[in-house]
Amino acid sequence: MTGSTTAELIPFIVYFGGVILLVLTMLGLSFVLGQRRTNKATNTPYESGVVAVGTSQIRLSVEFYLIAIIFVIFDLETVFIFAWAIAFFELGWQGYFAILVFIAMLGVALVYAWRCGTLEWGVKTRVGLEAKDN
Amino acid sequence: MPGLQVPLEHVLMMAAALFIAGLVGLMVRRNIIFILMSLEVMLNASALAFVAAGAHWGQADGQIIFMLILTVAAAEVSVGLGLVLLLQRRFKTLDMDNANRLRD
Amino acid sequence: MNLAAMQGLLPLLVLGLGAAVLMLQISIRRQLGWSYAITVATLLLGAAAMEPAMQVAPLQVTPLLRVDNLGLFFGSLFCLSGAVTAVISRDYLRSREGENEEYFLLLLLSTLGAVILAYSTHVAALLLGLELLSVALYALIAYPERGTLPLEAAIKYLVLSGAASATLLFGFALIYAALGSLEYAEIAVQISAGRAATSPALILMGAAMVFAGLGFKLSVVPFHMWTPDVYEGAPAPISGFLAGVSKGAVFIAVLRWFLESGFFQYSSLLAGITLLSIASILVGNLLALLQTNVKRILAYSSIAHLGYLLIVLVAAGVSPEPGLAVEAGGYYVVAYVITTLAAFSLLGLISRQSGDREYDQLSDLAGLFWKQPGLAALFTVALLSLAGIPLTAGFIGKFYLISAGVDAALWGLLAALVIGSAIGIFYYLRIIYTMTTVGEQANPGTTADMLVGSRLVVYLLIFAMLYLGIVPEPLMGYLRTIL
Repeated sequence: MTGSTTAELIPFIVYFGGVILLVLTMLGLSFVLGQRRTNKATNTPYESGVVAVGTSQIRLSVEFYLIAIIFVIFDLETVFIFAWAIAFFELGWQGYFAILVFIAMLGVALVYAWRCGTLEWGVKTRVGLEAKDN
Repeated sequence: MPGLQVPLEHVLMMAAALFIAGLVGLMVRRNIIFILMSLEVMLNASALAFVAAGAHWGQADGQIIFMLILTVAAAEVSVGLGLVLLLQRRFKTLDMDNANRLRD
Repeated sequence: MNLAAMQGLLPLLVLGLGAAVLMLQISIRRQLGWSYAITVATLLLGAAAMEPAMQVAPLQVTPLLRVDNLGLFFGSLFCLSGAVTAVISRDYLRSREGENEEYFLLLLLSTLGAVILAYSTHVAALLLGLELLSVALYALIAYPERGTLPLEAAIKYLVLSGAASATLLFGFALIYAALGSLEYAEIAVQISAGRAATSPALILMGAAMVFAGLGFKLSVVPFHMWTPDVYEGAPAPISGFLAGVSKGAVFIAVLRWFLESGFFQYSSLLAGITLLSIASILVGNLLALLQTNVKRILAYSSIAHLGYLLIVLVAAGVSPEPGLAVEAGGYYVVAYVITTLAAFSLLGLISRQSGDREYDQLSDLAGLFWKQPGLAALFTVALLSLAGIPLTAGFIGKFYLISAGVDAALWGLLAALVIGSAIGIFYYLRIIYTMTTVGEQANPGTTADMLVGSRLVVYLLIFAMLYLGIVPEPLMGYLRTIL
């Protein structure tokens, strides 16, 4: 088992070595042969020929966090729906109802997120807050 | 071809290495974001071990556990990042040592 | 999923549905009163749903969950404890501003996690229950808007509990790799079939890692570091939930895992648990002596109590007939959960109007007997029960543990238990003594402005602790029939 595995690995190792060699050659040759200039534009980032504008360290709004988290959570839930879809015929009606319950729960969560103002970008209008102080 | 193509021990060792890397990161890092990242590495190491073991036995169970771990990790990290936001707002720092007031 | 299975899972369905209804209620109209009512109603219904579920027990619903009397009994205990926490929290939150509706939603979800743990017979169910319980608790611990301690406590708990989960999962992955099964009963079959002999190191390492992960949640020494900090930082009702329900549920899950998957055959594992138990008892009790914060005292005391409970695991593993040990464990968990809830309820209730800080210093309790005799009586009974003084639930629990220990001839553990209890009496009595002194501190709030629900809960808790201590036979007999 292990012997054959090692034999199978040889092309991989050769390929890996080849890649390293190629990259080193490219970098090394351009370092040795290339010309050096210290113009104004030398150290600016190359952005497909377009002059870069502004800094890359923008502050993202904290609202982005909420959207991102909602995305991550709902994105992951699709994993379960895919798993159900793969076994659609085996699971039959029972699986169908189970996934309906699952999606209904997701729907409730979505309604909750929407009414809490999570999905709004900009001015928050949290529904129900004004009704609270009674 | 069913089953695992590489020896199970190799994958388990790889997972153990990842797990230890995460654990070390958890212990030596002070920045809360890095601590959360280390936590993810640890959870994913366990997930990898489950997938490998599942493939070794030719069962889908390992992958199902993997899906559950993904979900759990997402939930954990989203709560964790929420706490990070609060930490930044209240302590003006992400360094755990500066936020350590609970002690004997 | 047939009708019988639905009936068996009724408590879980009720809790899940209640959480969905609560979420809709919050999105339609934010109002604390409604959220509170829905939560308490759901938790009580969940506890009551044990009755119809019991008619179909024992029943295995999918490989993940088993509906049996053990799970149902403790499930309803956790539901009721959740309801107690909700009632106390209502009083606690009254003077604390903010959007408190989600607090109850999280509490409901956390209780659901605890109930799932009581049902679990599969790694997947264990994982889901554990994480539902913990993830909701992270948010609950950090709930108070003011102050930095809750936030810090939540982050500590999140990081350590996450690491514990990862360790636990890695352990289960190793066991899975060795045995090819995630189901407890199936693991037991594989072990007794001798499949374990091919890779004993893998299994032992896996079991040790699982135990380390669960030990973190149970806060046994040496995985106890987080406990005092988190209990101190969390709001008092949540500390009570954390100490009572969370630990109780994890212990029941450990008991199930340990008994059903046959790991007690490994004597090295039992020796490890013995060491952890002795260390927890001694360290917990000794460090509790040094504290001046009541929450920290209770935290160290809970470490010691979990040490006592670990005796059950060893006794169940060693003795040929694990029935008595499991029975003792069941009784002890009931007594411990009720007593812990009572103790933290008091802290929650006296901190009703305390503002940013809670009244959790020992000096804050000075003179409590003269100012709020009802609450002081609750705390006294709870402390006596924790100390294991006769006529309280804690005494019977400890007595039961000792008889289980004697039955299994665990003399070392019993010696630790006796020494630990003796040390314990000292710091519990110190708190009671402080309450009787005439303090200078202005202790705010009187019993007059307490909500009716909280009053009722206080009387019920006192009654339960005394009843279980004076007339233990009904619960003992009941546990004997179900275990």
